[in-house]
Amino acid sequence: MTNVYVHGIGMTQFGTFVDKSMKELLLEACIKALEDAGNPKVDAVYVGNFMGGAIYNQEILGAIVANELGLGFIPTAKVEGACASGGIALRQGIMGILSGEYETVLVAGVEKMKHASTSEVTQAINAAMDNDSNEKQAGLTFPGFFGVLANRYFYETGASKKHLAMVALKNREHALNNPLAQFQKPATLDEIMNARIITNPLGLFDCSPMTDGAAALVISKKKSGVHIRSSAQSSGPTQMQDADDLLSIPAIRESGRLAYEKAGVGPEDIDVVEIHDCFSMTEVLAIEELGFFNKREGWKAVEEGRTKSTGDKPVNTSGGLLSRGHPIGATGIAQIYHLVRQLRGTAPNQVDGARLALAQNLGGTGSYSTVHILERV
Amino acid sequence: MKIFKCNSCDYVSVSSKYTCPQCRTGKLEAQEVSPIGTVFSFTDIHIAPAEFADIAPYTIALIQLDEANVKVTARMDDPVQIGDKADLDKMENGAYLYTKL
Ligand SMILES: [Zn+2]
Repeated sequence: MTNVYVHGIGMTQFGTFVDKSMKELLLEACIKALEDAGNPKVDAVYVGNFMGGAIYNQEILGAIVANELGLGFIPTAKVEGACASGGIALRQGIMGILSGEYETVLVAGVEKMKHASTSEVTQAINAAMDNDSNEKQAGLTFPGFFGVLANRYFYETGASKKHLAMVALKNREHALNNPLAQFQKPATLDEIMNARIITNPLGLFDCSPMTDGAAALVISKKKSGVHIRSSAQSSGPTQMQDADDLLSIPAIRESGRLAYEKAGVGPEDIDVVEIHDCFSMTEVLAIEELGFFNKREGWKAVEEGRTKSTGDKPVNTSGGLLSRGHPIGATGIAQIYHLVRQLRGTAPNQVDGARLALAQNLGGTGSYSTVHILERV
Repeated sequence: MKIFKCNSCDYVSVSSKYTCPQCRTGKLEAQEVSPIGTVFSFTDIHIAPAEFADIAPYTIALIQLDEANVKVTARMDDPVQIGDKADLDKMENGAYLYTKL
């Protein structure tokens, strides 16, 4: 249990914003979160960001936020953990409050990707792999890792490409109701199944897109209606060939186990979930690793519609990374943004009476994972 | 092929580590084994990073070695299926290049 509460949330629309700078997106989300929290005094700032230095030539994001918002000479930092940068930034903020050092912290996440060419962004994303390895030298890519997992998953279970397409379709349908989501055009199962192959069996709709966007939170030890019951983080193998069980992502499993233990709840108690569906395959593995469904049976839950917003374990009611969009550093914060709206009862695809919510944010090919459990109090 | 085995438990890996990640006390020692193995899984990469774009689409396979509890990530010279037997052809720029048997 933590003594930390969410007081404010803010998020830009996710999508393509060629005429907005990274700073503008970041500040827009922060200002919304501060206004939502009633403009409290802020004691520290953490910003999650992955490739601002590599493709935007901009670091010192923490100090920029403090200066532009006039927050004073407070401590700030940028936090990097690949696609889990946002979740880790939140965790740093929580620990700053738990330590007694801060009362109120502004946590944000931002990424600006759409200004750069696909090859530049692909190159930057590959920094989330172990590049000094035989695996990288062979030509394995980020999506390729999940393609290898998917083919083995199909081999060991009754699942097929259709089940991955059902994940992508579900998240697309959820995004239709979310005005902040990147993709708001309907798609069909046929269209998803027959899309251009990226790395077989994964096609275009099985892979999260490039996205511009930012999200922010104000957290504090003062009480509010949303309590962060627990925060947990784990690391896992940075290379595919080191996996004990290829169909397991131990960082997800372990961060989930720790988060449940600290919160004193189990997977059966969770009402609504945002998880890291960087690929359709990842969502299927994550719902198994987090204990919502048996190992090797996540695909059955998908087939039965149990992870839809109307199902018994609603997953990615925001549209997920696949359709809400994946501005890397902002993703972990956007998950919390959406879950807080679920707990406040004001979310798109609102789950009736949601009380306990879980967010899981993955970095790299299973290198980092954070899990946060939130409770309406 | 060189692999690394823990001197105090049964952990083995294709790459060396400072301490055994399984028992956390043992040290890994190099050992020679046959590179022959079986395709555990694979993908065909159609969208490749700039440095591999000229050979795309190409196949990456995770090979389970026959002689040790080790998997190794390799590039294949042809498309494969799970269960296919494969052998090391050569090392090139730090990569294991495998061929289907
Ligand atoms: Zn050992």
